[in-house]
Amino acid sequence: ACKRPHPLDPSRSLKYCLVILNQPLDKCFRHLWHKALLRACADGGANHLYDVTEGERESFLPEFISGDFDSIRPEVREHYAIKGCEIISTPDQDHTDFTKCLEVLQKKIEEKDLQVDMIVTLGGLAGRFDQIMASVSTLFQAPQITSLPVIIIQEESLIYLLQPGKHKLHVDTGMEGDWCGLIPVGQPCNQVTTTGLKWNLTHQMLGFGTLVSTSNTYDGSGVVTVETDHPLLWTMAIKN
Amino acid sequence: MEHAITPLDPLLPSGSLKYCLVILNQPLDKCFRHLWHKALLRACADGGANHLYDVTEGERESFLPEFISGDFDSIRPEVREHYAIKGCEIISTPDQDHTDFTKCLEVLQKKIEEKDLQVDMIVTLGGLAGRFDQIMASVSTLFQAPQITSLPVIIIQEESLIYLLQPGKHKLHVDTGMEGDWCGLIPVGQPCNQVTTTGLKWNLRAPVENPFQTISAFRSCPRFLTHDSFFHCQGRQHSSIRSLTSFYTITSPSLTQT
Repeated sequence: ACKRPHPLDPSRSLKYCLVILNQPLDKCFRHLWHKALLRACADGGANHLYDVTEGERESFLPEFISGDFDSIRPEVREHYAIKGCEIISTPDQDHTDFTKCLEVLQKKIEEKDLQVDMIVTLGGLAGRFDQIMASVSTLFQAPQITSLPVIIIQEESLIYLLQPGKHKLHVDTGMEGDWCGLIPVGQPCNQVTTTGLKWNLTHQMLGFGTLVSTSNTYDGSGVVTVETDHPLLWTMAIKN
Repeated sequence: MEHAITPLDPLLPSGSLKYCLVILNQPLDKCFRHLWHKALLRACADGGANHLYDVTEGERESFLPEFISGDFDSIRPEVREHYAIKGCEIISTPDQDHTDFTKCLEVLQKKIEEKDLQVDMIVTLGGLAGRFDQIMASVSTLFQAPQITSLPVIIIQEESLIYLLQPGKHKLHVDTGMEGDWCGLIPVGQPCNQVTTTGLKWNLRAPVENPFQTISAFRSCPRFLTHDSFFHCQGRQHSSIRSLTSFYTITSPSLTQT
């Protein structure tokens, strides 16, 4: 099946929900916030939202904040609770706040019968190395939680997990930066074929210790296709 | 055969391990000064020299690397010139099929052999932040490192350390006092079917219930460990990790900032 996500399309027509993780918020967050159908914070993500929206917090109230609440500051939690944001405790220690936030979000999307195209996540790609890996791990679990594509954005990086099959990525929004890559993070991908990249692959194996595609770029066609036999992580640069 | 390592030994003032230092293209942490002084050899990979140059303003004479290698698309011209004039070897490694880091390790290994140095470890600063593809490239270099050098290669940035455990048994000494409060085992590259640990809050015990569950293999526990259905708590000072099949993981004890 040919899937067509638009990784950077939130600036145009796609309907998306926003998840804020426990990392400093980038400038793009304001724009992403306003066009989102639903906004949620995972635990300490609420701290960052609170801090960067000083003076205008009324305009930035998430629908809910979920987590085990070992990161959110008490005064932040209280602030949002008083403002009517739903505070949802997800104490399960076998899953990360991010994973659990996706579960809550999916439920709300279903309850409200929203038409959503994508889940956009802010944060998760910097800081503690184990937590960066945990973010990647959540992308592996996401298909059991939601059928929606989940992308993660922080600073100039975006990641998106391509399931086995064929994918078409439109990279002509003008927001694309100058690098991209394909990372076989969970297991080797034995047969990967691409078009639209400067260094394409043809039925090639990608694997740590064999070949990992980093510092790749585009051939100018505006479209990248990727065919893979195992889950493969797509990563790309976002222009400032 | 069991491999033993004390990952944070280089950070100890009293540390006994002999190591070489590689500086990648990321901001340098405070611990770099201490690591610099005790290193046998110091090298910069391309833009790593920019960061060295910037943080050693006023004392650059005390921080001259043996060499700077790379394809030089990141190093600033005045930085390159400065170190060249000071006698640092400038080694061009233009091969675009490998990263500056990988190629720097190759040059470093050659110099270690040429100088017949007794080295226990290679400590790398940077590589764990910034562009996501470059973080992954750093991890990828750890997979290639065994073909380049027999020395353990660790990567440190901010509060994180990573180290790739090859198949087999490993003993990690985590009692230097520099260990932070989290660690983890990440099956990057492929699932690890048989992982056994001791010494962790949540230990693993082989065999994995469902070794072909790719998704659960790559699912890191929020606390201490890559997580599946067979954890037990055990307290011991040293952790040993054993694998019976192909095994590619990275452990990330955290650091406390010096």
